[in-house]
This record gives sequence, structure tokens and C-alpha cells, in this order.
Amino acid sequence: MLEVDDVHTYYGESHVLQGVSLSVEEGETVALIGRNGVGKTTTLRSILQLAPPREGSVRYRGEELVGLETHEVARKGLGWVPEERRVFSHLTVEENVEVATPAEADVGAALDRTYETFPALERFRDKEAGDLSGGQQQMLAIARGLVGENDLLLVDEPSEGLAPQIVQAVVDALREVGRETTMLLVEQNFPMAMDLADRFYLLDHGEVVASGDTEDVSRDDELIRRYLSA
Amino acid sequence: MTGIEPALLAAGDAGPVVASLLSDLLDVGTLVGIVLGALSKAALYVLIAAGLSLIFGLMGVLNFAHGSFTMLGAYLGGAVMVVLVSSGTGPYARIALFFLAMAAVFGVMTAFGSAVEKRLIRPIYDRQPLFQILLTFGVVLVLDELVRIVVEVRGMQPRSDWQEALGTAPGFLQNTITVAGSTTRGLYMFEVLIGAMVVAVTWGFLTRTRYGLYIRAGSEDSEMAQALGIDIRKAFSVVFGVGSGLAAVAGVMLMWDPRFGASVPLSTDALLIAFVVVIIGGLGTFRGTVVAGLLVGLFDAVTTWLFHSAYVDFAGLPEMVMFLALVLVLIVKPQGLFGVEEVGGH
Amino acid sequence: MAISDDRQSPDARSGDVTERPPAEEGEDPTSDVERGGEASADDAATAERSLRRTLSEHRVHAAVVVAMGLYPPLYQLLISTPLGAEFAVVLPPVRTMVAVLYVGLFAMSFDFISGYTGYLSFGHSLFYGTGAYLVVLAATGKLPGLSAGTPFMGLLLLGGILAALIALLVGTVSFRLTGVYFAMITLGFAEVAHVFIRNWDHVSPSPQDGANIGGDVGAFQIGVPGVDTLSVGIGRLVGDSYENLFGTGIEFNEAMVSFYAVGAVVLVSYFAMQRIVHSPFGRVMIAIRENEERARAIGYDTYRFKLVAFAISGFFAAVAGALFAGFRRSVGPSSTFDLFVTADALLAAIIGGFGTLAGALYGHLFHEFLGGILSTESHGLSRYLRENLPPDLLNAEVAGVPLLDVVNVLIDGRAELYLGLVFVLFVLYVPKGILGTIRDRIGGTAAEHLPGHVRKYFRDRR
Repeated sequence: MLEVDDVHTYYGESHVLQGVSLSVEEGETVALIGRNGVGKTTTLRSILQLAPPREGSVRYRGEELVGLETHEVARKGLGWVPEERRVFSHLTVEENVEVATPAEADVGAALDRTYETFPALERFRDKEAGDLSGGQQQMLAIARGLVGENDLLLVDEPSEGLAPQIVQAVVDALREVGRETTMLLVEQNFPMAMDLADRFYLLDHGEVVASGDTEDVSRDDELIRRYLSA
Repeated sequence: MTGIEPALLAAGDAGPVVASLLSDLLDVGTLVGIVLGALSKAALYVLIAAGLSLIFGLMGVLNFAHGSFTMLGAYLGGAVMVVLVSSGTGPYARIALFFLAMAAVFGVMTAFGSAVEKRLIRPIYDRQPLFQILLTFGVVLVLDELVRIVVEVRGMQPRSDWQEALGTAPGFLQNTITVAGSTTRGLYMFEVLIGAMVVAVTWGFLTRTRYGLYIRAGSEDSEMAQALGIDIRKAFSVVFGVGSGLAAVAGVMLMWDPRFGASVPLSTDALLIAFVVVIIGGLGTFRGTVVAGLLVGLFDAVTTWLFHSAYVDFAGLPEMVMFLALVLVLIVKPQGLFGVEEVGGH
Repeated sequence: MAISDDRQSPDARSGDVTERPPAEEGEDPTSDVERGGEASADDAATAERSLRRTLSEHRVHAAVVVAMGLYPPLYQLLISTPLGAEFAVVLPPVRTMVAVLYVGLFAMSFDFISGYTGYLSFGHSLFYGTGAYLVVLAATGKLPGLSAGTPFMGLLLLGGILAALIALLVGTVSFRLTGVYFAMITLGFAEVAHVFIRNWDHVSPSPQDGANIGGDVGAFQIGVPGVDTLSVGIGRLVGDSYENLFGTGIEFNEAMVSFYAVGAVVLVSYFAMQRIVHSPFGRVMIAIRENEERARAIGYDTYRFKLVAFAISGFFAAVAGALFAGFRRSVGPSSTFDLFVTADALLAAIIGGFGTLAGALYGHLFHEFLGGILSTESHGLSRYLRENLPPDLLNAEVAGVPLLDVVNVLIDGRAELYLGLVFVLFVLYVPKGILGTIRDRIGGTAAEHLPGHVRKYFRDRR
């Protein structure tokens, strides 16, 4: 479904991604793990063309994304749940959903689907998103990423900055979403990532250094520890 | 007696002066006069600043050419009126033609603004914000000069108000009217009406339309908006165009106002007013711009009254207070009365 | 430009301006001036070598100074040749060149703060106006405590100091802001002053028109105060002039005398600023422009550096304003505190090269050059064409419009239009300006590297 092939991305002069390759198959949840600053977020941004790669290719359902504008990529069915949620704080919950709905789609139906998946949000429908709690904002960010029949969700650090009891609610929500939607998940919280994902890629210094099924990880966790600790 | 020292201090015996100031101020006629003056100025200030506020809110571009668009609008509107209005045109026909001129100028200047954005500003988005200031400032130099050339070739004085255009206003607007014991011009009340209309339409556009929603979202986080499938570049062109069109609409209104009038220096006057109002309100919030326009209008009315009733012997007081307010807000609360800490997506 | 390792201690203070720059041969061409002066007398050979190096590194400076110095007699000579009328159209008259000098100095002072630290001082006219009004108010006896006879050199200094103090006050609140906010607050301060001076009836009965210095006040003297033989009077009509100087038969009119006198002050001011931008202090200014957070992170108190730089910039802006007032002998709000006075500096700095100092002067030279050719005055191109083209050609139609009208509409007094277009083109396509682009090509400042390039060019041609 998604093929990232030998992608090189720069910020100014610094070479952030040094040939990242990975793939995500329809229906799976794939985790992208690694320490801070190894290029996980940049990988997502390169897929979305927010940080266009200088070399390499990103194909989605066989179509090349490199060279497209971000909004064109988004309209192909890629949803983004960014770090720190980035909900529009001065827009109401409904407006946050509406803004993500494609012009030709029915806003009412999108709202119904949102409240079906996240019933908690319905109570706050006319409240400004900035007034929601962190957990509620995260739910809204996920809901917003799903609007418009998106079938690949790029999720960045969903547990960051949330209280532990709320993290569990987010994990449950993501597991629910993952049953129907393909996900590429960036997560620092290692147990959570292993819990949610079917497969994983381990990133270090802008390169994939390991990958495999999450089930095999416990046997091989010497490697993981080396890259995740310190 | 010179300078900015208020007469009440020079009088030495301050007590009675303050008392007389208060009793003068609390007179119903005076208060109504000040409120009417404040409203009429506020309407103009909001009109002038609205477009600048929209553009900065979404794009983070401080458009120095804003005042030049207003000036251009004043001349274009004046041209429409001067051509279409003859001495026999009745008052209501003049009002109808005025709205026609406003619509036409809005259309032309919106297209012009979009073209400026696409041709000149788009290539430099990825440079430092400094270059956007420089570029739009260059547009000021060229536009003001072009208008000056055309005005001179037509045998008019670019520095003085275009009297012929002022004369196209219907008589009932040029006359004074009395409201609750205070006299004002019909025109000033008409300006309040136009200002309220433009604010209502802009507000409706921002809050009731899909495109307005995109603009509000993009103003907060243009990258996130893009990632949700919104073509932000297109929104930039549209907003820069609409903002320029609004600037020009303000110009059409000012063309009838003897306190302003169509002239080349209107470009700088309007720009400075727009800066003051938008910054006091908070760069990037339309609500703030409206409130700041009202506040600055009120300052203006009070200080103008202080000067006219000879409490202060300094003709520049209203203007000076305006710039002092700008400086003070930037010192105390740089993000403006209603602004958010992080401004602009660029 | 990275901050070199020889940076000052983290608690660097403003006093560093006067400190000797660290040893960094080649990168700081001015450091040798000082080093040469400081060398002990018994080490004459070192001193001589150092002096020679200094001279060689200042060859471009010297060439520019000589060229400027030769301009007035050359101009006089050329306009008296058979092609004099044509030369008069193309070449700026000497009195215009005086304006190039003082506005050029103002533009350099603007570039000093805006081009080197990246903080756009949109209210720079505040300082220019301060210097200009101080001169006129003092000379007309309107400043308490300053007699009308205060020496002009004293007024230059006083205006500079006053402006530096104002800059410190304005800077104290303004440097907490960045970007457009800084530009806006400085513009706000200048507009407050602009409104004030337009309405301050102490200046004259009609303050909106400014004030003049009457004929009863003699020419302002530049030179050593109190020593007549070492001073010359400047100003149109009232300045000194010399006929048959030293029996050479060369006539020096008031404009030429003013040109050299004003030029001397501008030259000294330029070298003062040039020294500062090449000193460690200047390197911190550039570091602030490139990445202020980084400069702060490695221990510089950037706020203080910005303040001091702003005060220095304000000082020289006021000196420029004072020279303007001293030469023109009249001031008005629109020629001093106006936003468009700042705009002149901005134009000059961008066209000449933002952050190049000297470029600003060349930028303004270009401005006046274009302004002179397209001037509506007697030496302008339009007047020349009207007087020298055959009438039937003038009445010939170009696309249905008589050529005469084309000349009147597109040439006569239209410099500002073309200047605006050039400015926009520079911002879009030549963002580094004339001098900045040259420096990029030759890889360093023109003063350091141009001689080598010229030599190489001629060697290659041989």
C-alpha cells in the first residue's frame, strides 16, 4: 500500500534521512521506533511531502507522491495525526472535523461517524478545541485524521504529554481504529508500540537498522535495547 | 504658549479647569457628539484595516502596499463617480452608483491583489519575512508613482484632494444633521453604515462559509491545514486578493470624505492607520481589529474634542495619541489586545 | 559567518568596541591600522611593513576616495567641453553629490543596524531628523543653553550624542521584539516624533513647513573649531569659495568646498563604522543576524550588543541629518522625520547591498544619478531632449502619441518610478545588491580582494 524507497531528506544542509526504506501493507499497523532525533517524524513529513525528499521515492497504491503538493497527497487518502495533536484551538470540535472533510463529502455523515467512534466528543461539539483536555484533543486529532474516507493514518507520538490513565484510553481508541484502517505509528513508548503494531522498523541516524514482527521482539531485545536506551 | 503642555497645567489653578472639563464632557450634547465622532472614525479605521488583518492573519505577510491599494481604490471609485454622475443625477441614484462603484472597484482590486500575490510575493515565501516587507514596500513606490503620473497627466494635483470626486456625494450626505443635540454630517452616519456592513459581510464570510473556515484554520496552522487537503497556496491568493479588494473599498468610501479625499498621500495615511489598528487589535485576529478600530476611533474623538474645546493647545494630539497607543501596546502586550502568542504560519 | 573561537568571554560588555581585535590576519584589514600605530618606535621595520600592508589593503578605499575627490574638477572640466550639455545630463552636479554624501552616510547608518543585525529600523528617520532639527534650532537660538554661535562641529557631536541617547531609550523597549514587531515599534516612535515636529510651533510659525536659517547666520564651519585657517564654511550660497586657489587657476565654488568638507566628515564616519563591523563586536552583530538564539546560547548578551549597535547607528544617522541641515540651511518634517526619508535609506541599502556598509552609499549614488538624468530641472534629460531634438521629431507620433508627450510623461521627473521598479527587481532577483553580489563573486570584501582580482584579470588577458 505504501512503499518508501531509499528516501534522502535534508533540512537546510543537514542530512536527516539517509536512505530510509519501508513498506506498509493494507490492514497492518506498523510502528516506527527509535530514539529522539533519528528521523521518525521527518519520515512521516517526507511521506506527506511537508519535507520533500531530495532523493528516493514514496509510492502510495502504486502512485508516486514525491513531487506532489501536500494537499494533493492528503486528498489521496492519507490522514495525519501530528505530534502535539495540533488541533485548531480557536475552532469548535465540529469545525475541526468539518475543515478536514473534503469539499464534495457530506459533513453531517463525517460528524456522525466521528461521534460513533468517539462518543465522548459529542458533548463538546460546539466547544473550542483549545478548551478540551489533552486526551480529548488527541481523540479529536485522530478523528480528524480519519475523516474523508482516509485509509492510511500516519500517527505521531499519540501518547506524548498525556497522563498514564489517559494513555490507555488512547491506546484502546487506536486499536479500535487499527482494525479498519492501516496505520503507520511513530511512538516513543516502546511497550505501547509493540502492543499496537504488527510489525516494526527501528530507525537510527536516519537509517532503518532493524525491522521485523513485533512478536519476535522479546527474543531479540538486546538489539532493541541498544538502540532505544542511552 | 507652545507645545503639548495642556492649557490646564499652564493655567496654574488646575482644580476649576478639571471641574469645567468634566462638566463640559458630561454634557449630553458633547457626549453624543464624541460617540458619533468615535463611531464614524472607527468605521473608517476598521474598513481601512480589515484587509490587512485578514492577510497578515493567514499569510504572516505585513503588506506595506495596503495603503496604496486604498489610495488606488479612492481614485478608481472617484473616476467611476465623476464619469457617471452629472449635476442632474438625483441623490438616490448617486447612492446606487456609489454601491456600483464599490462593487466594481472591489472586483478589479481583488483580481489585481491576487495577481500581485502570484507574480511578486509567491516567489519569496521561502525567504526571510524581511523580504516580504521590502517587496511590498517596493510595490508602494511603483504604485504611488504610477498614480501620480496618471493624475498629473489628467491635469490634477496629486497632493490635494480630488474635489470633483468629493462633489459627487449627494447633498443630504454633505449637509449637517442634528442627533440628540449634537451636529454631525450625514456622510459620517453613512460611513458607520458602510463600516458595519463590511464588518458583517467579512464576519459572515469567515464564520459561515467553507472558505472562511479554511482561512481561520490556515491562520492558526497553515501546515496542518495543508495536511488536511486544503490548497493553502490558493487560499493565499484568494485572501491577498480579498484583502486588497477590502482596502480599495475603504478607499472608495474615503473618496467622499472631506477629512480624507482621494490623493496620493492618502496611501501613507491609510497605511499608518491600518498598522496602528491591526497591531493594537493583535496581528491576525479579525475580532481584535474591529475592537481596536472602535478604541482608536474613541481616542480620536476624545482628543479631537479636547483640542477643539481648547483644553489642549496641540493640533497633532489625536494623531500623536494614535501612534503612542501603537508604541504602548507593542511594549506592554506585543501580541495585541486579542492576539495569540504565536503569530503567522510563515 | 560563524563566530570565531577567539570570542570574548561570555559576559562580554559593550566596552569591547574599543578593545583591540584579536589576531586574525587577513580577515580584518583594519586591525593593522591600530597595530601599526601601536608598534613601538624601536621596531621601525615592523611598523613600516605593517603600514605598507595597511596601505595595500586599503587600495580600493583609496581609489574610491581619490575618484570622489577628483569628481568636482572633472565635472567642471567635462561640462565646459563641446559635449558639455550631454555631460550635464548624465553626470550629477556637484551640489547633488553633496547630497549623495550625507544621505549616503544616513543610508550606511541604517545598514549598520538593519543590514548587520537583521533588525529593520523602520523609524530611522527619527535620528536623522534629530540631528537636522538640532542644527537649525540651535542656529536660530531656539534651544535654551545653546547659543546661536555654537560651533557646527559641536552641533554634529551633540546631535549624534542626543540621537544615541534616544536610540538607547527606544532600543530598550524595542529590542524585546523581533521581526515585523520591531519594524513597527520603531516606525511608531518615528511617527510620534513626526507628528510632534509638524505641530511644534516653537520651531517656526508654520511648523508643518519647517524652519529656515536666515542670512544673518554665517556659514557652518567644518574643521577645527575656533581655528579659521583649519575650517571651511559649507552651505549653498553662504559657504566659502575660493577663486584661483594657491594660484593654480582652479576655482572652487561653494558646492565644491561643501563637497570636500562634508566628504571628510562622511569618510571619518564610514571608517569608524567599518572598523566596528570588522571588529569582534561586528562579528557578534552578524551572528545575531544569522542566528540570534545560537549567539545567545554561546554566551553573548545579544540584547546589549543590539542596543549599543543601535546607539552607534543613531549617532551617525544624526550626524548625517546635521550635515544635511548645515548644507541646506532649512529643514521640514517631510525631509527629516518622514517615513519616506527612511525609505531612501532602505532603497540605497538594498540596491547597494544589504549588510555591506559602503554599498549603501553607492546605492544612493545610483538613486541620485537616476534622479539627475530624469530630473525636471535644467540639466535633466527631458529638458535636453525638448531643446535639442528637431521640432518635427518631437511632434512625430509613436503609436499615436506625440514623442513630446512621451518624453513629458515617461521621463520628466520620473526617477522615483524607475527607482521603485529597480528596487522591486533587486529584491526579487539581486537580493544581495550591487556590492553584496560583487563580494560573493570575488569571495570577500571588495577592499580586500578586488586588487588581486584586477591583477589576475590583466595577467590573464596578457
